Amino acid sequence: MAKVLEGPGMGLMKKWGITVPNYVVVTSVEQFNELAKVNDWIQKGKLVAKAHEALGSRFKLGLVKVDLDRKGAEAAVKEMLGKQVGSITVSQVIVSEMIPHKEEYYASVKSTRIGCEILLANCGGIEVESNWDRVKKLAVEVGEKPAAADLDKLAKEAGFSGPVAKKMAEFANKLFTCFDNEDAQYLEVNPVVVRESDGELIALDAVTLLDGDAKFRHPDWNFQFAAEFGRAYTKDEVEVMAVDSKIKGSVKFIQIPGGNIAMLPAGGGASVYYSDAVVARGGKLANYAEYSGDPPDWAVEVLTEKVASLPDIKHIIVGGAIANFTDVKKTFGGIIAGFRKAKGEGKLKGVKIWVRRGGPNEKEGLELMRKLKDEGFDINVFDRNLPLTDIVDMALQNK
Amino acid sequence: MSILANKDTRVVIQGGVAGVNAARRMAEFCYLNKKSLYVEAFVYPPDAGKTNEVPYGSGLLAIPVYKTVAEATKNHPSINTSLVYIGADRACAGTMEALNDPHIKLVSMITEGVPEKDAKLLARQATKLGKTFNGPSSIGIISAGSCRLGVIGGAFDNLVSCKLYREGSFGVITKSGGLSNEIIWICSQFADGITTAIGIGGDAYPGTDYVSYLEMFENDPKTKAVVIVGEMGGDLEERAAEWYGAKKRRIKLLAVVSGFCQESLPKGMKFGHAGAKEGMKGEGSARSKSDALKKAGAIVPPTFGALGPAIKETYEEFVKSGQIVPIPDVPASEVPKLPKTVEQAMRDNEVTVAPLIRTTISDDRGDEPCYDGYPASELINKGYEIPHIIGLLWDKRLISKQEAEIVKRILMLSADHGPCVSGAYATILAACAGIGLSQAVAAGMIMIGPRFGGAVTDAGRWFKYAVDNKMTVDEFLAYMKKNVGPVPGIGHRVKSLRNPDKRVKELVGYVKSLNIKTPCLDFALQVEQVTAAKKDNLILNVDGTMAAVLVDIGFPVDSLNGFFILARTIGLIGHWVDQKRQDSRLIRLFDYLVNYAAPKRREVPPLK
Repeated sequence: MAKVLEGPGMGLMKKWGITVPNYVVVTSVEQFNELAKVNDWIQKGKLVAKAHEALGSRFKLGLVKVDLDRKGAEAAVKEMLGKQVGSITVSQVIVSEMIPHKEEYYASVKSTRIGCEILLANCGGIEVESNWDRVKKLAVEVGEKPAAADLDKLAKEAGFSGPVAKKMAEFANKLFTCFDNEDAQYLEVNPVVVRESDGELIALDAVTLLDGDAKFRHPDWNFQFAAEFGRAYTKDEVEVMAVDSKIKGSVKFIQIPGGNIAMLPAGGGASVYYSDAVVARGGKLANYAEYSGDPPDWAVEVLTEKVASLPDIKHIIVGGAIANFTDVKKTFGGIIAGFRKAKGEGKLKGVKIWVRRGGPNEKEGLELMRKLKDEGFDINVFDRNLPLTDIVDMALQNK
Repeated sequence: MSILANKDTRVVIQGGVAGVNAARRMAEFCYLNKKSLYVEAFVYPPDAGKTNEVPYGSGLLAIPVYKTVAEATKNHPSINTSLVYIGADRACAGTMEALNDPHIKLVSMITEGVPEKDAKLLARQATKLGKTFNGPSSIGIISAGSCRLGVIGGAFDNLVSCKLYREGSFGVITKSGGLSNEIIWICSQFADGITTAIGIGGDAYPGTDYVSYLEMFENDPKTKAVVIVGEMGGDLEERAAEWYGAKKRRIKLLAVVSGFCQESLPKGMKFGHAGAKEGMKGEGSARSKSDALKKAGAIVPPTFGALGPAIKETYEEFVKSGQIVPIPDVPASEVPKLPKTVEQAMRDNEVTVAPLIRTTISDDRGDEPCYDGYPASELINKGYEIPHIIGLLWDKRLISKQEAEIVKRILMLSADHGPCVSGAYATILAACAGIGLSQAVAAGMIMIGPRFGGAVTDAGRWFKYAVDNKMTVDEFLAYMKKNVGPVPGIGHRVKSLRNPDKRVKELVGYVKSLNIKTPCLDFALQVEQVTAAKKDNLILNVDGTMAAVLVDIGFPVDSLNGFFILARTIGLIGHWVDQKRQDSRLIRLFDYLVNYAAPKRREVPPLK
């Protein structure tokens, strides 16, 4: 799942015929002023300025300002740029024209097992969240398109009538077309508003989640995907992601501040069971990590260095199920090299390492790990005969 | 019995290298089960018409590669299953092709990173046609004792230790590949092993869900219980719970679900597989899935570690009620062993191999080449140069600085001699005909022989012979006349006493200035005095001079021509590049340069 910020999200909707307000995304006051010179609507109309970052509750943080004139917008851009919120620095501001309106509606399309669902409601904004029963759905099978009659029916069910019903059905159809053609996983417009000047439906906001795996067939996705958990990626996370994008197989790394149990397990499935085991035993995770698909040893080495560099850790869990084709000896070679490097840099002092693994060349791999004891590592190595997550139990016994 | 994959399964693999590797793993499984390989064809357009090699036991099978699935099933009409090992961008089209083939009933896709829309389209098409689409991101399907689709089950040793050569009583369905193997192992240790294990893949929308497979297991009398390894996200586990709770089922259901850690993590933090994401309102959490399964009557151990004992308990109940009759273990001696590779057997001290070749100069097995034992980088860093490498590789010794200087000068003097000599001319001729570098240089190289550049070795041999046998010049010349012919290293086509060869003067002058013993060179110069007096172009030529000097500094006679070949290669490469740079045209001889001495044109007599 790949989150896309409002600007590029609205760009995609516009591409498929949805009317969006005029907007610009700026990274400096100078850029805004240049754009104001050539865009009539900035000079004449009322404007809205919002921090263009993956942040929740922007209103509360004072990162949304409405009813501005050009000068006011310039001041807002100046104020917002560079503001620090948690780990995120505001580096972009989106300035859009304000659309005077009375009515607010809701429209979204979400991925389902059979295809997708089109959702409409004749209320919008925060109202829709407390009135979820007013949201009506239409299921569309993958490979199919919604029939015009079904969309009309959906709009009527959602409480629209007269010319707005027709327009809302058309709007839903465009949103579906955007969803279907852009490999979206979720599109939400809240609110959809009726422009007072001409009665046209306008998308005032866009939540856009795209299928990152489909990037190969969308050469026009020239925007960056946003981090999904309300903070910017750390330097180490970005470095592991860069390695991940280069290799066969995968390496993953997410830091969790405040934890003291470091994770270095194998496999997308087993890694979560290991994380569960730590939490179930009352431990605090310092990170999530995973390597799988027989990655090259150097990639595992990079991952290991990052894990070993986590602050204040007491244990490292080098767990894993019985691999099908990931070479245990080779990947352990990467882990061992990483550990040695970390130790050479004075890290891993007082850290206990716990290993459990099976798979191709397991005997040789485990033997290499065991030998680390002779180099002064505090390491405990187990083979497939120890149940998967028992190393976590042992590690946390005397925490 | 088993489900999906069985003794009648016949397979086409769509894809390149990864597909061939899977076929090799499948062949290992067939070998363990003493069955012939059921992979009948590959589909991979770039290699269409070729065959892929798949080792089976100690032999090799050749499996044909086709351009399309239709071609494969036309030539192998018993194929009923396809495994997809194609990259994510082309996987959808390839899988569709397989699904639409009337012979194929099951398609399993290993490809990861397939767009969700593609996965949904494929699932829909399979449903429409009444076929099974398994995956994407599936590690494969394995039925103990009969059929393995993909690499599921891991290495050969693991197949043996998980007793996959005979059927047990447990079905397995997992999203994770590694955990499928873990459960297979647990079932073999805590119970009697598996019937069939299926990896459905960790994507958000797998082609086939738990319910369809549970239904198949329910109808397979050999399967007594099914183990599900679930994850947070989606509603697959909930629907499995719904199916299990809907009515009394014959099979027992055991399940674990991962993702409890999400409860104590920052919101939105995503772990593990693509499908492992919570719904917007907390639906699809590990807890809600786990609760739903428990409520439906499934056995849900609190942790993954507790799964083994739970499986054991279930197994023992079945044994007690007589529904499972324990299978005696197969003695290890009766389980086939995979033949070792020669490398492995040598490491284990089980075979000796007579080497095919023997080398005494160089070793490439470390992280860098060693010349006569010395690492190349160390030689460089300690100031050694090309002549020293020649010394090591041609004569297995570290020559002195002084000797190296002589060698260097010899190479510099003989690097080229203009375009007219046989070697350069042949190379230029070839270059003008558009021939590539190595062949054109080889054309020049072929010219090196008794009349051009190739007399160094012979010259060295005979001068050395004379010196070793303490011959006088007269004795030597008489001996040569009687037994050999003209003295190699003496005589030049254009140079003479009056028009001396500067290269010879230069080399002789330098070597003489060093105050070293040069018996061969001295002797050769004495020979020249006699021969040149008879005819003034019978001088000591550059071949003879080089030869005498090189013998004097200890190089073996057999290596001597090498100095000329090596040096002149520099010139030949230069000539080729030079012609290339000028984009020279094809050349041919002009007829006025040929003396046509063949008979005049005449009438051909009637054929008799």
